Amino acid sequence: MKTETKHPHSGSVMADRRKKNAAEGIAQTVFAACAFFVILAVVSITLYLLAKGVPALLQVGPGKILLGTVWKPTAAEPQYGIFHVILTSLAGTALAVLLGVPVGILTAAFLAEIADRRLAAVVKPAVELLAGIPSVLYGLLGLTLLNPLIYRLELTLFRDSPDHRFTGGANLLSAALVLAVMILPTVISVSETAIRSVPPGIRAASLALGGSRVQTVFRAVLPAAKSGIATAIVLGVGRAVGEAAAIALVAGGCVNPPFPFRSVRFLATAIVSEMGYAAGRHRQMLFTIGLVLFSLLMAVNAALTKIRKAGTGEHG
Amino acid sequence: MEKSRISVRNLNLYYGTNHALKDVSLEIRGSAVTALIGPSGCGKSSFLRCINRMNDFVEGVRVEGKVLLDGENLYDRRVDATLLRKKVGMVFQRPNPFPMSIYDNIVYGPRLHGIRARQELDGIVEETLREAALFGEVKDRLKKSALALSGGQQQRLCIARALAVRPEVLLMDEPTSALDPVSTRKVEELIRNLKKKYTVVIVTHNMQQAARVCDDTAFFLAGELVESGPGDVLFSRPKDRRTREYIAGRFG
Repeated sequence: MKTETKHPHSGSVMADRRKKNAAEGIAQTVFAACAFFVILAVVSITLYLLAKGVPALLQVGPGKILLGTVWKPTAAEPQYGIFHVILTSLAGTALAVLLGVPVGILTAAFLAEIADRRLAAVVKPAVELLAGIPSVLYGLLGLTLLNPLIYRLELTLFRDSPDHRFTGGANLLSAALVLAVMILPTVISVSETAIRSVPPGIRAASLALGGSRVQTVFRAVLPAAKSGIATAIVLGVGRAVGEAAAIALVAGGCVNPPFPFRSVRFLATAIVSEMGYAAGRHRQMLFTIGLVLFSLLMAVNAALTKIRKAGTGEHG
Repeated sequence: MEKSRISVRNLNLYYGTNHALKDVSLEIRGSAVTALIGPSGCGKSSFLRCINRMNDFVEGVRVEGKVLLDGENLYDRRVDATLLRKKVGMVFQRPNPFPMSIYDNIVYGPRLHGIRARQELDGIVEETLREAALFGEVKDRLKKSALALSGGQQQRLCIARALAVRPEVLLMDEPTSALDPVSTRKVEELIRNLKKKYTVVIVTHNMQQAARVCDDTAFFLAGELVESGPGDVLFSRPKDRRTREYIAGRFG
């Protein structure tokens, strides 16, 4: 009886429509405005790149640019071939992924499945810190620590080849190693999340069949986390393709076909290193390079979307 | 009572400071179905997990006493727990197929233990699926995802998967609690057939189920084994007052 006297009219379910509509309306406008700015950014970047990059692409000819191997933008008869630069970006990224992904996945598996809590509590913040380090610092570190080591390797390997042009350690291999370290945090944290989200029943099933801890990780848990791990790899690829600052310091910077001990130039670094003095057609051409880079990243994103869609299908 | 296959002697189990099993001693017959019954949290699942040492993975767990399988103490330091788990299979409460094909689910265990020959694996797949009364339903889609099966089919697949490593004992932890009545009936039928070849120990909440499938029954309450014996005797003439009250549905 007490409660009834306290809430005599608590029963009505009719809304105070005016008040409610106003609040809902404001909230919706704010959300829509925020979403609009994101769309605006994407659309304007795309349009700007197209407007700046396409004219030069058409005037010089896509074949001459994309498949041309000579980059002489400031010569009397300038040539704008970026084939080697594109190849370098592809090869450098591939090499970085090849080196970084296995280490990243194994680290993630170790953190999620094997490491005891105290060790994981040390390693995990370290990985997160790695993600927060500005990329140019990776470049500095590469320049002062890695390049001399690679140079020493180069000196031994090419001791007897008089044709080799020594890079002083600033070459594709150094760049790929730096990129490999840079993609680690992404690969580790995304794979670790994927591994942790594998249902405990999967591990129990494997262990109960007589599997060891390690067998269980490699044969049951990692396969069950494969779509998340694929996402991690694609995100790593995206990070590597777009990186400029660190690479500018360790890759040498000459336009060469991508061989491990050649000084090379990546797409992103090509823009960074020349934009300061480029003018006219040369400047336009850098936007064309930007467009190529943009298309590559779009392709990476499309791959990611596809993997995510496939992941929600049959095999989690 | 016939000669026992598993004999548990003065088993005590602690999770940290929680004394989960208190001085339990029980003889389990071979080629029979033994049901473990009791209210939630009474220790019956913990007891089950002592028989294949799945408790090893729980942090802070401590086991005292002996569990003898064919006379060998499973808690002896020389025991290889992976070999033990090959001999003592387990089926879980929720169907937990791997996110792989039906075929790959079955051959997972055999592959762990080094069987590679295609023909042999094919043979194991057909044989165990037949044993689990699932072969007819899935024989045309062995390469399809196991996750596309119904819950009841998934559970029978998990039983087939457990049988694929040729165990001698099969532990089942409330294997039908996530299934509908029709699937439950199928799995129960299966359990009654399995006892011809295997020693089956099943944990169940469902007393009718215990009565339908078991030869022997053990009643647990608050970490203690209250009473055990042939199922028909325990259900019709329980000796202990607490057993009588539990069976009558007065608590739990």
